[in-house]
Order: sequence, then C-alpha cells, then structure tokens
Amino acid sequence: MLVLKSLAVLAGTSLASAANLTVSIPSSPPLLPNPSSLAPSTHAVLIGPPGVQYEAPIRRDNTFTFPDLAEASYLLTVHSRDYFFPPLRVDVTKAADGTQQETVQAWQTFRGNEWSNKGPFYGSSNGELKIQIQPSSQKNFYQDRGGFNIIDFVKSPMILMALVSVAFIFGMPYIMDNMDPEMKEEFDDMQKKGPLSGSSGAAAQLRNFDIAGWLAGKGSTTEQGAGDTSKKR
Amino acid sequence: MLLPLLPAATLLLAPACAVFSDEAWNVDYHFALLGAPKEETSFFHRPNPSSKASLIYTLSEEHALGAVNPRDGSLVWRQLLASGGDSHNTSFLRAGEGQDVVISGIGSEVAAWSAADGRLVWNVHTDGPLEDVEILELSDGKETVGAKDAVALSGGEHPMVQRIDGASGAVKWQYSIDGSDAPYQLSASSTEVFAILIHKTILGYVKLRVVALDPVTGLKTDEYMLSSENELATADNIISVGANSASPIIAWTDAAHTTLKVNVVGTKSISSFSIEKHDENAIERVKLHAPYHINSLAHFLVHYETATSHWAEVYHIDLKNSKVEKAYSLPRVAGRGAFSTSTADANVYFTRVTRDELSTVSSASHGLLGRWSLSSFGVAGGVGEVIEPVHAVSEVSVKGDTVSAIRTTVLLSTGDWVLLRDGKAIWTRPEMLASTVAVTFAMPADMVTLAQQLEVEAHGNPVAAYIHRVQRHITDLQKLPSFLVLMPKKIVQGFLGTSADDAAGSDIFGFRQIIACATRSGRLVALDAGHPDRTLWNRDVTDLKPGQSWRPSLSSTKDGVIQVSSVAGTGVDYNATDGQQLAGDLPVIPDEPDLSTSRAVRYTMRGNSLEATYDWSPSWTFTPTHGERILNLVPRPVDDPVASIGKVLGDRRVLYKYLDSNIALLATAHDASSKANFYVLNTISGAILYSNTHPNIDLTAPIPTIMSENWFAYSFTSEASPDTTKGHHLVIGELFESLLPDHRGAMGASSNYSVLHTPASDPFTLTQTYQLPEPISRLAVTRTRQGITSRQLLAVLPASNALVGIPYGVVDPRRPVGRDATKDEQAEGLMRYAPVLELDPKWYLNHQREVVGIKEVVTAPALIESTSLVFAYGLDVFGTRLSPSFSFDVLGRDFNKFQMLATVAALAVATFVVTPLVMRKQVDQRWRFL
Repeated sequence: MLVLKSLAVLAGTSLASAANLTVSIPSSPPLLPNPSSLAPSTHAVLIGPPGVQYEAPIRRDNTFTFPDLAEASYLLTVHSRDYFFPPLRVDVTKAADGTQQETVQAWQTFRGNEWSNKGPFYGSSNGELKIQIQPSSQKNFYQDRGGFNIIDFVKSPMILMALVSVAFIFGMPYIMDNMDPEMKEEFDDMQKKGPLSGSSGAAAQLRNFDIAGWLAGKGSTTEQGAGDTSKKR
Repeated sequence: MLLPLLPAATLLLAPACAVFSDEAWNVDYHFALLGAPKEETSFFHRPNPSSKASLIYTLSEEHALGAVNPRDGSLVWRQLLASGGDSHNTSFLRAGEGQDVVISGIGSEVAAWSAADGRLVWNVHTDGPLEDVEILELSDGKETVGAKDAVALSGGEHPMVQRIDGASGAVKWQYSIDGSDAPYQLSASSTEVFAILIHKTILGYVKLRVVALDPVTGLKTDEYMLSSENELATADNIISVGANSASPIIAWTDAAHTTLKVNVVGTKSISSFSIEKHDENAIERVKLHAPYHINSLAHFLVHYETATSHWAEVYHIDLKNSKVEKAYSLPRVAGRGAFSTSTADANVYFTRVTRDELSTVSSASHGLLGRWSLSSFGVAGGVGEVIEPVHAVSEVSVKGDTVSAIRTTVLLSTGDWVLLRDGKAIWTRPEMLASTVAVTFAMPADMVTLAQQLEVEAHGNPVAAYIHRVQRHITDLQKLPSFLVLMPKKIVQGFLGTSADDAAGSDIFGFRQIIACATRSGRLVALDAGHPDRTLWNRDVTDLKPGQSWRPSLSSTKDGVIQVSSVAGTGVDYNATDGQQLAGDLPVIPDEPDLSTSRAVRYTMRGNSLEATYDWSPSWTFTPTHGERILNLVPRPVDDPVASIGKVLGDRRVLYKYLDSNIALLATAHDASSKANFYVLNTISGAILYSNTHPNIDLTAPIPTIMSENWFAYSFTSEASPDTTKGHHLVIGELFESLLPDHRGAMGASSNYSVLHTPASDPFTLTQTYQLPEPISRLAVTRTRQGITSRQLLAVLPASNALVGIPYGVVDPRRPVGRDATKDEQAEGLMRYAPVLELDPKWYLNHQREVVGIKEVVTAPALIESTSLVFAYGLDVFGTRLSPSFSFDVLGRDFNKFQMLATVAALAVATFVVTPLVMRKQVDQRWRFL
C-alpha cells in the first residue's frame, strides 16, 4: 500500500526530478565486519511529508537505492533484524544555481529533538548522493538469569562471615593448644572476666534468653530466669 | 522501612518483561509462513549453479516470495512483495536455467532477487500493470553468457514489451503494442519472442493476436490472428500459453469442454482434439502441463478434471512440421489429482499425485517409472474428510528405467504444504494459517468437566453435593494405578527439568488452550497452545465459492465450545477438542428485539457518525465535524477485570482510577488539515470525557488505538516542522477520579449513580507522549484472570517484523517531567520522563525471529493469574506466554531444583558434622563451671 503511494509519487515526479540517493553499508569492524551477513529483510525507509514514503530492500552489494525522490525533507531509517542504525535527515531541494538538478543533503538527526537540530553532515550532492551508514549497536534480545555461580556464592558477605566464624571455631582450639602456657592462663583469665563469657556474660544471656518470659513482661527477672535454666541443665 | 526497598524496586523494573534466554524458543512458537503457494510460481531451483542442492521457490497468494529448504521445510529467506493493492491479482516468478537469481513480477514491478540469500539484485517499474514476465533463453549462446535477460509484458494505457538486462536491470529495448487489444501473455522460443494479445470481435468472441518480435532488436518480425472461430467466448477458456519450451503452444477449449485446440506458436495451423467423456459428470477444468526448458522434448500433458475424478492425456509435438499428436493417456482415477512436470536433460517426466498414490511416467511412454502408495499425508483433516492434492511440484532423478529419488511438494485441500520423498511425508507447512482472519482461545473440554462438576457441587443441596463429590473421587481413584506408574518418571523428569510443563496429561496452569483460527478459504483450524507444532483438527466449515470471502467472528461461548458466526448471523458451535459440530444447539441471533437485552445501550457506526440507542430509541449521536472521518472505535474490553480500584503511591496513599466499563476511544481524522482527533467517550451517555487533537499527522500511516482498565494509548506518525520533531509517537493517557491522593472526586460519597441522570463527573486525565524509533501498526494488551498482574502493552512493529511487549511502568504518564523522581516515586517504579522511548530488543517477544505481516494480536488469560497467552496472526503465526509481573504463582525455569536440593543436602551434612562438636563443647563448658 505504501509502495503504491510512492509509485504514484514516482510517476508524478520522475519527469521533473532526478534526485537519487544511494545508502551503502560499509564493513565496520568490530560491530559488523561483513555487511553481507545482514538479513535479507533489512530495509531502509524514507518518510517524507504525509503520504510520501519510499521503501528499499537491501541489495546484493549492501546498498539501498532510492531513485527519483520528490522535493521534501525526509527521515531515513534503516531497519535490520540484528542491528540498530542511526536515523538520518535527507533533504531534497532545488539547486541554488537554478538548473534542473536537485540538491540532496543528508545529516544525522536525533529523536526527540526538533527537526532543525541537525547532527554530523553526511554529504551533499547535485542529482545523486551516495552516503555510507554504519550500525550504532547490535541488538541483544536475551535477558540472562542470574544463574548459580560458585565463585559469586563464596564472594557474598554472608558466606564470607560464615567462613570466618567456621575458621575461628576450628582454628581457636588449635591456636590455644599451641600457645605459651602463661599466655594461655592469661587468656583464660581475660575470657572469664570478659563481658561476653561466663554464666552472667552477655553471650550466655543471649543464648539462654527467655523469650516467653520477656514477652510476658518479666524484663527484670530475665537474669534469674536465665540462671534457672542454666541450673536445670 | 521503604528505603531498602528502593534499589530492589528499581532492579526489578529494569529486567521486567524481558525475554529470558532459557524461555526463548521454549515457551514461544512461530510459523514462518508464505501463504498458499501458487502452482505456476512454485518450482525447484538450484540457487548456486555449481552445487546440486536445490531449494523450493514460491510466490504465494499472499504475495510472499520465499525459498524453502526441501530437507526440513524451513524458510531460507522471504520477501513480502507489495501487490499494489489492486484486484489485478497476477504475479509471476521465473528462474533461468543455471541462474543465481529468481525474477518476480507483481503489480508493475519486475525484480530480480539473489536466489541464495534473497537480496534484491535489481528492480524495474513498468508503466502499466504487468501481464507477464518471461526469461529469455536464447539458443545462440552468445547472448547468454552471465545473466539471462527478462522480457516483460505490461498492460495499461500503453501496453508494451520490454527486454530487461539480466545483470543490471536496464531496459534493452521496448516495443509498444498498437491497437486496443488487451495484452495476455508472453511466449518465447529460442529464436523469437511472441506477445499474445486478446482481440475482441464485434460478435463478442475473442480471438488471439500473436505479435512476433526479434529478441535482439525488439523489432516486429511478424503478426497474425489465430482463427479460433466462435468457440473462444472468453479468455478464461485459454488453458495455457507455453513459454520457453522448444515449441511454445497455445491451447484452448470451448465453453463446454468438448474439444481441445492446440496451436504451436509461430505457426497458424490449429490441431483439434475431441475430449472424451469418462463419466457422467461434466469436465470442470482442463489444465496443461508442459516442460519449461528450451532443450526439453516437446511433449505436454493435458489434465482433465470432473467433480469426482480426473485423467490425463499426453501429446507430442513434431518439431519439423509442427504437428501435435496424442501419444498415450493416463487412466481415470477417482478424486482429485495433481500433475507435475520435471525435466532431466532433454527427458520430460510427469508425476501424478492422487489421494493415495504417487507415480511417475516418462513423457515418451506410459510405462511407470516409479510408484509409491501414500497412506496419509501426515496432516490433520476434518472428521471423515478425504484429503486431496491440489497441485504439486516435483524434482525427479532417474537412473535407467526407474526413479531413484523423487521429491514432490503438494498443496493439499486442507491448505497444508507437504513434501513427499519417495512417497513419505517428510514435512508439512501449515500454509492455511497465513490467511487467518479470526481467532479465538477456548479451554479444552476435559479441563472444563472438572470446573462443571465443581459448579454442580457448589449449587446443589449439601447432601447431593456430598454424594456427588464422593462419586467423583471414586471415579478419580480409577486413575490412581496409572498415576502411580507415572509417578517415578514424573519425579525424575521434574528433577531433571526435562518434562517442561507440557508433559502429557492435565494442564493445571491453563497454558494448553485451544486456538481456533478461521481462514479466508472457509476452514477452521485448531491448534494447541501447548503443542503448537501439530494441528489438532482442520475442517471446512463453509461452502465458499472461489473468490467469495467471508468475515467470520469466532468466540468461545462456553468452555470447550467454539462458536463460528459469519455476517449471515447464525452461529454454529464446534467441539474445541475434536472439531465435531455440536448439533441441535444452534443459537440464532434474534431478529426481533429481545426484551431481556433491550435495556442496554447499543451503538453502531452509521455512515460517518456513531449512533446509540437505548430501549430501541435513539439515545445519542456522535457526528464528527465537517471534513472529519471516523478512523476507528475501541471500547474497553467486555472482560477486563481490575483487581484494584486505586494506585498505591510510594507514601501509601491512593490515587483512585476512573473505572467505567462503558468507555471507548474514538479516533477521527481531518484530511484537509491533516489533523487527528482522539476522544474518550462514555458510551452510555455519549459524553466526551477527554479529547485531544494532533496536527501535522500522516493520516496514511497506521493509527492504532487501545483502551483498557483506566488508560488508553494510541500511536501516529507526525510530520516535521523546524521546531518540532518528526517521527512516530506513542501517546498514553490515564484517567483518574481525582488527582489528589486519597480523594475520590465529586462522586466519592455516593455509592450508586447513573451517568444518564446525574451530571457526569469528568475524570482527570494525565497524558504523556513518547517518541518511538519506528511505527506501530497494532496495539493490544495482556489479559489475566483477575487483573491483579500489571498489564503490558503489546505493539506490532511492522518495520522490524517484531511484536514488542512494553511494560506499563515505562510509559506511565505519571513519570515526573523535568526533575528526577522523588523517593516516593522511585518506590513506585517511576523514572524521570524521557521523550524518546527506545524499544529495548529484550522486549521483543519474538526475539531473534522475524514475525512478518502481523495484522492482529489476541490475548487470553491462563488459569494462573500471573500469565497471559498471546497469539499474533496475519501472515506469520506467533504465540507465547507472558508474565508481566513475573511468574509469582508458579515455579518458572529460573527455579533451580539442583541448587535447592544441594543447599538442603549441604545443610544436612553441616548439621551432622557440627552436632558432635557442639555437644562436646557444651559438655566441656558444663564441667568448667561446676
């Protein structure tokens, strides 16, 4: 349907104008080393004023050709299955010197910007313009799930902490055994006095915490309760 | 407390609705179709002349040109050719012997395509519509180095013959045909090009005028009229005009099919043969099959068809005196048959496909070179339907006196395209689905029985319900042994993850719904969404005459039943599982106003205005302003459940949605000023709730619209002006009762109201426009059972051949403009507004595949809330399952059973190892204190 419209335009303008546009896709490593690998559905679309639209499929020599363009300002988009291409603005205007030839100019354009905001200049020519366009990025269709990875697993802080504590549990008696007898005594004394050890120490309290009693509001009797439970054992 | 949730929420948003690499290719399915291939444009051809491998090329009735690998039926490449949209539905596809291009002709464009990869080599536009395209096979040798030239015959006001250079597409010469005769066909022999024209005599008969041209210069060498007397009433009686054979022929019959006349083009003599009647039925069709190579023997086969049987006769042409003689005949066989012609060197072979047999004969004698019986074509048909071949194309290799290998592609009456290798069906392509015009989802009946029984129990009296339930469980017990037998296998499969979710048996998630497709040819085809690779059933439901079209609408009125209704008004029900017609239950749409339903507002398009009636009297009319035309009207879906009446903000306050089941989005176009207007209407009162105008719109581009829940969306292509942007836009609007959180607007306090009696409270509408990199041709939205799951906007991208699922959060009109999102907004998942919406390839539901020609997308809820089934059709058929809010109610593929079991095992081992240590330590400690 669109092509029909463009045909009508073609028929109307073929006599008056001779503005041709050839867009080629060069080899652009590393993104696209071989443009012949582009899918045959790759095509370029020139959108002009309402109702004017030209479509060109990719040719064997990796080009798109648009013959006999009418005078207008066009948006050129290249659609490909695997790559994104930047949008271009193509203007076909009457040549300044008043000859039959028409001037074809091309710039990069930016979506979401006003039409007069033009980017890098791609070229200008009388009658026939040949430009090259390179893909901007490759399409990546797939979302990878965060799969199970043993290294990531070990790297996580929780596991690191667990490993360190395991090392302490197993390593401590060994260190203690190898310690100086004097130092060992000193260390034992320190541990007994320390706030974390002993039956009234924080650690013991925490271990023997009577949650039912605490919930019942017997906050003050915690210590006693803790003592009781430890005796019962 | 919300603060730690923020990064989590933003993390969740980014990959939401993406296609996961382990789900791609598994949960989705796709048929890359071409449409029903046409007999005259299908052939085997070697894309690379130096290798022996050949591909099947076809230009289908859907104007899709493609190459199919004969080994597995996969599509090598495909180009959708624009037909020009006129009724002149002729298309041509030719390939020269030993050429690496195929040349297509359609509309007024002749194009050469690289045979191996489907890229364009050259294209030429003719002034008038094409009548024929041929490849010039010259025997003198000096012209045929490199690419062979093409000859095109175009009609229109200035009919002409053009010779097109095979390498560059330049026109070498053209010959304008004088006179008012209609161009009919081209025919080329090794030394001359013949243009055959149809000359209408005063008496209303037609005569054939032949213009002979010199292929090198394009000058006329001869011209004559064939004396076809009075038997040729219309051009339809011309059976064939041969081309590119050693001696091209023209054959025609009289209207009653009693005599066959054959003329060797280039001579004026006409051979006449009387057609014998083989049974009481009149001959309905006569077809001619002739070899297409210039070096082949000048033999041809005439195929006669009646309503119940067919037979054929083989004729030889004596090249020296241009005499046509009947050589032998092939016997009459019941049913329809298909003949195909294949050549090897100069020999010509005819292959015959009947209902149950495949056989090959040489054109020289009637001895069978090979014969295979066909047990089945391997396709699903209707109940009791005899599947018959429609047409066939063959590739034969003959060693000595027997066929050593034969590959035949057959188009069947079911619409399937099948390849038979040595009489066995190797692959089938469901090409009938390419012309799908209506689709519905239906639950299979076995699923339904349980639901029905539960319903019986819910509504019966308690004692009866209890007895019913016990009985049901007793019958269920019968399945226990088989269940127990399958149990270990199931566990192993579930553990290894090989079972997938499509293991045979029950479908508790509702993924295996039946998709019924009505095709343009009047067939109803049912697919299983869980096993899409096989057709469940395929039956003829209408009695369409050739060329007649129908506009069916499909619905699943109750589970397990598919109802087909056409414009005619009656609906016919079919069993969804096996396609049986359910007799005795044919609901007829009442002609008389039905009192029970008359208290509804009905609205219809009348001319260019919308008229609504209430109680069968006019209620309101929507007439667009002068010069404005209605583009389309999209009401909110009837079955559109919404779980929450409000949107919860980041600070736990609520914005109330404007939920009204009677709203519709109307799009109109004003051609003179190229403006498009969009209205949200209340369909009960006719009130306009919201309207918007967009200037500078390309009204020839598609303007899709969608309405769901409390939001609407539409897309258009805008024209540039220096200070605006040019391109494709998506507008999304959301209706709220009030824009103040925790406030229900004017209607807040009242529990009941009527839009007809109380002054309407207009909704507050937020809209936002996003610029898109490419146009959208169709919008749809996912549907889930309860509407708890967030919705996803589905958009068809015709330029990228893709179907994209846009998460609603990305296009939310509440995205903050000109500032970064606050913490509360971030908690909701809102990001700062950006005018350009880049369509992430991860949203492409079709991912790497190309889904061509999608016209419509239908969605249906699965039985589990998280999932929506999607089915897209047009040319290709594509389906998938979507979980817009992730699969929160089912273990997906991301659930790693090994990891879970390994964790449990590791914990168990750790417990066993640590327990004695801890015991010892505790004992030690006890000793220390005492």
